[in-house]
Amino acid sequence: MTMASETMNELRKPPTNEQWPRGGVRLTEEQLRARRTRSIAIALALAAFVVVIFAVTIVRLGSGALTRPIYMQPAQPTQGAK
Amino acid sequence: MSVTLTRAEPSIAGAGDYIELMKPRVMSLVVFTALVGMLVAPVHVHPVIGFAALLCITVGAGAAGALNMWYDADIDARMARTAGRPIPRGRITRGEAAGFGFTLAGFSVVTLGLLVNLLAAALLAFTIFFYVAIYTVWLKRSTPQNIVIGGAAGALPPMIGWASATGNLAIEPIVLFLIIFFWTPPHFWALSLYRIGDYARAGVPMLPVVAGEGETRRQIWLYTLLLTPLGVAPWLLGYAGLIYGVAALVLGAGMFVLALRVRGESGGHTACKQLFAFSILYLFLLFAMLLVDRMSGGLFGHFAT
Repeated sequence: MTMASETMNELRKPPTNEQWPRGGVRLTEEQLRARRTRSIAIALALAAFVVVIFAVTIVRLGSGALTRPIYMQPAQPTQGAK
Repeated sequence: MSVTLTRAEPSIAGAGDYIELMKPRVMSLVVFTALVGMLVAPVHVHPVIGFAALLCITVGAGAAGALNMWYDADIDARMARTAGRPIPRGRITRGEAAGFGFTLAGFSVVTLGLLVNLLAAALLAFTIFFYVAIYTVWLKRSTPQNIVIGGAAGALPPMIGWASATGNLAIEPIVLFLIIFFWTPPHFWALSLYRIGDYARAGVPMLPVVAGEGETRRQIWLYTLLLTPLGVAPWLLGYAGLIYGVAALVLGAGMFVLALRVRGESGGHTACKQLFAFSILYLFLLFAMLLVDRMSGGLFGHFAT
């Protein structure tokens, strides 16, 4: 058995250490509250990021954002071109 | 072969702790000076582009603050002024602060480059690098000139603001840079004079700790001598009007008188505390007057020339 597979087998064993309680880690009230405020802050930051990117995109494109054709015809070869 | 797994305690850091990690008070001064740099530029900036640029500069400044707290956590824990910061208090781990800081730094620089322009992004990247790598990691623990050279990082935001608006640099933002650069030593040395025990305990070689109080008071006065004419320079160079010129003269006189009192003071620290408080007001009002002067359309400037 290779060292890598030995390590993987050790990792797959159910933890017996007291640091890893059965049934998973139970968060305290304070930890739950902190996680909730972090989650809300991340959601707000992501939403703000999307809004800023959208607004700057519209400003950069100008009125062309609404009038641009979705599909553009490929350029036709000019007369006389072989 | 046995593997020992250790589990980190789930975080108790709330959103407020992360905001505190970004040094909101420093960030507000950075944003304000960057805004002035942007608005005094002789071009029209679309409000949305201007807002996006300011947001990126704000986040970049916050990232630099977080990375400073990450690296300086050991020093912060030993100083009364900084012992209440999120890492010494045990609210945020150093690893969390580093991850937060590097992520925000990367995002702010890339976003500024994509949404505004590459020069502004390059200046923001340089500012973060200078503050974290040059000031925090290198200079702060090794030389009493730490805040003099490191002050360049705090002086760059008006240049970033100007670059965001124009896409280039000129003498005007360089003068604004010089004002903040020469303002930094009197500001921080006034603070370090009455916090000398803190810095000595933390092993930070601030000028009063290394060269003594007398030499620090002398250098505060010398730097204020250089700062006062620099504050008036925008008027003398002709890109600010009389309203700014008069304000800069009055405010500069205030700084000069207080620096003189700091130099003559022996034993107490009253003048140091007054200079520290007034220096914040000085920089804020100086930049605010520049903004008022520019917003008034140079109305008062005609009387000056």
